Amino acid sequence: MTSPPVQLQAITPSLPTRRDKAVAPFRIMTWISKTITLLGAVLLGHACYSAQEHSALQSFKAATTTLTSTSAVASLPIDIAIETVVATLVILLGLVLGTRPLRPIQWNVWAGKIEREGEEGFLDSEGEMNRDFVGNPFSFLETRPGFVDIRKQRKEFAGWIKNSGPQ
Amino acid sequence: MAPSLLHPPSQLSPAAALQLSQQAPAVLQNSPSTVSKSPFSALFSASETPELWIKYENLLLSCLRTGDELAAKQCLERLVARFGDGNERIMAFKGLVKEADAQHNGELETVLKEYEQILRDNDTNIPITKRRIALLRSMGRVPDAVSALVQLLDFSPTDAEAWSELADLYLSQGMYPQAIYAMEEVLILAPNAWSVHARLGEILLMAATAPGAAGASYQKYMAEALKRFSRSIELCDDYLRGYYGLKLVTTKLLKESAKLAKQAEEDGLVLPDTNTIERLNELATAKLSEIIRHSTAQDRGWRGYDQGEVAVARELLSEDSSAASRIER
Repeated sequence: MTSPPVQLQAITPSLPTRRDKAVAPFRIMTWISKTITLLGAVLLGHACYSAQEHSALQSFKAATTTLTSTSAVASLPIDIAIETVVATLVILLGLVLGTRPLRPIQWNVWAGKIEREGEEGFLDSEGEMNRDFVGNPFSFLETRPGFVDIRKQRKEFAGWIKNSGPQ
Repeated sequence: MAPSLLHPPSQLSPAAALQLSQQAPAVLQNSPSTVSKSPFSALFSASETPELWIKYENLLLSCLRTGDELAAKQCLERLVARFGDGNERIMAFKGLVKEADAQHNGELETVLKEYEQILRDNDTNIPITKRRIALLRSMGRVPDAVSALVQLLDFSPTDAEAWSELADLYLSQGMYPQAIYAMEEVLILAPNAWSVHARLGEILLMAATAPGAAGASYQKYMAEALKRFSRSIELCDDYLRGYYGLKLVTTKLLKESAKLAKQAEEDGLVLPDTNTIERLNELATAKLSEIIRHSTAQDRGWRGYDQGEVAVARELLSEDSSAASRIER
């Protein structure tokens, strides 16, 4: 009734390539989003540096020329302010592009996604399956794990090994 | 993709179960066998996750199925070491391993006696109660299993799994009205379960085509099956099983539309008119052929279907189209 474990280990599990294909678009998306985020970070850094230089220059000016006191020191030039805002927006855009696709919030769409795409629809941006993905959450009502008939399953499995076996 | 060890393995194909149980040595080696309860060791070792124990449970089930008792016993030992002998769930797993080991009926009787002893001590031990019912059924004592299950449902009426088992037991005996009743109870507990709606539709269809059903009851069953399948596809877009059932029911109804129209008014459940049924039939045909087309082409986002189910749906459609062309000729 029991098939020897030696026979079981003779078959090496082969990883199908389907997964790699599915992941490709995610990879491209993360690549784009990372580039944009980096660009935004560079812009923001540049803006900060400019602001710092500007204020240093102003305080230097104020120290040397004691004639005009307060008016020139007060505000940053408009281009630095614009650069800061734009850089923040660009970083935001990059981060938003990098998030994984939103889950459906309608029951029938979500259920249809489970049936139609299976595990593939629930991969995150790294190509790993979501940990909380369980497939059809009601499938236990048909498989009924609490009432499993292990002897029947073993017989069926032994029959399968004998007849077709793993290819 | 290798099936995940975090999901219950009972619905997997033999090949997938084999693949899982082949991972057993690696998993057993890489996972910690015991987790210390002292807070100091928690500082230095990886923290304990529920996933670890789910993994052991599922590995245990797969290994038992493929006959790898050694790995199964190792899993069980680790589970016992963590949760203790008195845990109800662990007791059920221990019984399961004994059942799998039993060579002949005498040993099964001993396991059954052990279950009964446990239940005498504590008759609210639900996992063991379920094991006892499953064992009774497995030994062919279906009436005993049914009465035990009815008893269980008497004191735990919100157990959807048990209702579903009861429906399956009745169905295996050909007692359709009882099976339908039990399945409706499942639906009360899980009203959004699209697969249960489809299952009930299938049972109703079986009841309608059984030799005993005739006239009004036939029509009632067909009308209800139509509704159940429609509800299942309402709850789940592109549900192959639901559309398959819908196609079967509507084709059957259209064939017999002349006979049926006369008896319609008596009961509460009235069939929709022929026009509606025809439109439903067309919808099912269109959806099925769309699913088959995408699934055979392995389009992105359509790879979740079971290939066997798709093949059966294709057969149904080709039968249907050949029948249609015969009529035209």
